[in-house]
Amino acid sequence: MSALSIISRHMINVRMLMRILGWLLLIEAVFLLMPAATSLCYGESDWLPFLSTSALTASVGLVLALRSRPTASHMGKRDGYLLTALVWVVFSFFGLIPFLFCSEPMTYSDAFFEAMSGFTTTGASVITSVDNMSHGVHLWRALMQWIGGMGIILFTLAVIPMLNHSGGMQMFNAEVTGITHDKISPRISQTAKNLWLIYIILTVILIALLWAGPMNLFDSICHAFGAISTGGYSSHSAGIAAWSGSVYIKLVLIVFMFLGGVNFGLIYKALHGNFTAIRQNDVFKTYVGIIAMMLGFFALSIVWQGKVESWQSVTIDPLFQIVSTITSTGFTVNNFESWGPFVLSLTFVMMFFGACAGSTSGGAKIDRILYLFKNADNELYRCIYPHSILSVKVNEKVVSPDLVNKVIAFLCIYMLLIVAGGMALTACGVPLVDSFFSSFSCISNTGLGAGVTGYGNSYDILPDAAKWILSLLMLTGRLEIFTVLVLLTPAFWRR
Amino acid sequence: MRIVIVGAGEVGSHLAKLLSDEEQDIMLVDADAERLALLDANYNLMTYVGSPTSFATLREAGAARCDLFIAVTPYESNNIVACSVAKNLGARFTVARIDTYDFMDPANAAHVKHMGVDKVIYPEYLAAQEIITALKRTWVRNWFELHEGQIILAGVKLRAGAPLAGMKLKDFAYSNRHFHVSAIKRNHETIIPRGDHRMEIGDILYFTTTRDHIDDLLALTGKTEHKIKRVLIMGGSKIAVRLVNSAHEEFKFKIIESDLDICRKLPQKCPDCEIIHGDARDIDLLSDIGIADMDAFVALTASSETNIFTCLTAKELGVKKTIADVENIQFISQAENLNIGTVINKKLLASSTIFQLLLDADSSTSKCLALADAEVAEIEIQPGSKITRSAVKDLTLPKELTLAGLIRNGEGMLISGGTQLQPGDHVLVFCLAGNLHKVERLFS
Repeated sequence: MSALSIISRHMINVRMLMRILGWLLLIEAVFLLMPAATSLCYGESDWLPFLSTSALTASVGLVLALRSRPTASHMGKRDGYLLTALVWVVFSFFGLIPFLFCSEPMTYSDAFFEAMSGFTTTGASVITSVDNMSHGVHLWRALMQWIGGMGIILFTLAVIPMLNHSGGMQMFNAEVTGITHDKISPRISQTAKNLWLIYIILTVILIALLWAGPMNLFDSICHAFGAISTGGYSSHSAGIAAWSGSVYIKLVLIVFMFLGGVNFGLIYKALHGNFTAIRQNDVFKTYVGIIAMMLGFFALSIVWQGKVESWQSVTIDPLFQIVSTITSTGFTVNNFESWGPFVLSLTFVMMFFGACAGSTSGGAKIDRILYLFKNADNELYRCIYPHSILSVKVNEKVVSPDLVNKVIAFLCIYMLLIVAGGMALTACGVPLVDSFFSSFSCISNTGLGAGVTGYGNSYDILPDAAKWILSLLMLTGRLEIFTVLVLLTPAFWRR
Repeated sequence: MRIVIVGAGEVGSHLAKLLSDEEQDIMLVDADAERLALLDANYNLMTYVGSPTSFATLREAGAARCDLFIAVTPYESNNIVACSVAKNLGARFTVARIDTYDFMDPANAAHVKHMGVDKVIYPEYLAAQEIITALKRTWVRNWFELHEGQIILAGVKLRAGAPLAGMKLKDFAYSNRHFHVSAIKRNHETIIPRGDHRMEIGDILYFTTTRDHIDDLLALTGKTEHKIKRVLIMGGSKIAVRLVNSAHEEFKFKIIESDLDICRKLPQKCPDCEIIHGDARDIDLLSDIGIADMDAFVALTASSETNIFTCLTAKELGVKKTIADVENIQFISQAENLNIGTVINKKLLASSTIFQLLLDADSSTSKCLALADAEVAEIEIQPGSKITRSAVKDLTLPKELTLAGLIRNGEGMLISGGTQLQPGDHVLVFCLAGNLHKVERLFS
């Protein structure tokens, strides 16, 4: 690289950004064709809004991709952050259009909330009666989660070979969850392809397993997309409780939601016969440990509250609820609210923790919690032995103090954002507890119904301003805070 | 190609970035986690933390399945052990960086091969060879010849008064068929020129020509050749020692070194050479030594800045040819603009060797030259390759590369629009950095 190009690199490469954005919109247009086709198959009128949205998205995409002629292909850190955040917002803006014109039209705020909630795999819905929606809308809601689960950018990296350079690397870093971003192959496109391959295989298996049970094919597809992406949209108003009689469905979903919460890099290693990687992985072990511990607490609480109806109500039901919460899916079993306040507070804890980094789940991620606790343990030990040199060791590797600082900073900002979001909601007139619960539920991408705290049945009761605030929180939570917040700092825009 | 690079030092990380830009699968191994973290987060490659000579690490890093294994840690013995381990695990081709001539000596070649090292890179040796070439051809910036000079690529800086200055390339090509202007380096940027480009004063022009027309080039660019005999070297580095040992019969060397301990050891290593203790940045000392009588000044200290500035001073004091070791790649184009005669860089020399392997891993007949932002390669055309399908003017070639000349049946000639390339031809290709993989595609 010559000296001049190093200097000019500090500015944001707008044209390149526009071109990539154009390509991404073309991809979204292709995805939009699927619900259009579904609606046509079922003879519904909704094929038209989907098809026209697809056409609109494709034409905007084409114009952007062809008309912006980048002078340089280089992309730096800033470009990576900006593009990643921008893509998620732009995708939501185009993804909401069908909701405005479908057979059960929504307001603009509702539609944006629904789209953002889908892409960020939050699964919080403003639709009061899901059953009335057309099949096209159901599939689109499920698809949004499925794309967003593994990541829009990651999908693009897998399919567009031109991003196979350091610029693509920056986008990968900005989108993929976790403290450090482990690659599984030397080339970024290869990593993206492998991760998406695992994701697709898991999805296909899940669809087949659900279909083998009491679900029909369409519901199987929608729920499979919702479960593996840890999103939580259902194609029925009653949600998963519509099949509450089926232990099989619950068991299958438990397994795949659990897998959705595991680091996909780890699954890749396991599939390639590297089981020592699992044995050495503290995060995975903690993940399993937390679920087991929570099951004990839940069962005790259920017994204490006298809600034992059958053997399932102390085993399968709480396990389903635990896995659904910790992986930030947000499916609920029907009598969950009646298990008592202790269960609700445990739910808070699990929403905060989330599952493993590098998975499709939300929350702060167990990796960070592990760092926090190990560091706290060290600090306490140092009170007694001030001269001892202690290190934080995760997955049998010593972590640098810089990284521990970054994690602690992350957790502090994360908590501040929950409080700030909750306060902003109270300013919109939402009751105190519900404000904080919604804020929490959205930033962790869990999307547990607002109904849990007794305030309405779904998020539609919230004022419009609150919906926009929560949408922003979802995006911030999905991109793990820094990617969004760094755009708000003056240093990002200063030359 | 799967490439494992061991050692993320200057050479290792430079190679990793370069090869990653060339769309190769790179695995970079080093014991220092912090050094790797930055590379891992910013470049399209994979890193692995571990000891470079351990079986476990190399197995984990995929040395068993790699096509090319490059060991470039600072320690020669580590590199050789790493290559040996990798070769035994199943690596297809191994390269070790060395820093003594011993492992390069043809007499020891069989033993080195037996240890599992297929090729050695000795950057200091390559640098010394480069300096010797520069001392013999004082008027060029870069000199790259194929098959004993059948085809020559010469980088020449155009000065005021040169007959060529201001001329359009197509006019030049019209009047003079024995030269091909392959590239122009202007203001830190290298361009592959078209017919409408003008040659301007201050440009470094890369001419491709045959041996018979070199003297014409000298006249066209308004240069004169100086005969070099007395050479002053600043810095008793490894390159200096290698240089004195390789060329003490042709040139008369003096070394200035500021460290007394190093000075004491130099007479043993460098026979026939005058050693002076002192700082070459001191003008009084330089005039005491008789800098004005020196034909060439070679700056080889560890500091690029010192090398560049003392070369400028030497030039002002009347030394005809200056050569500087510039290890910061960013500084190379600055140094070239500042009238430093020739710039050498160990990283670029090491990458030249690796690029050659990349293009032609099995035989080592091809040559390669890495410049700061471009590469020059000699490639043999394989039967049935894309490039032989039609005459050069009808091929749609990427704009980042140009075909400069070719050698057919041992005879060099230039390539024009009407040339039809044939299998077996050796072609000299000039391409901008990061585009070598396109060349590879065209020729295979």
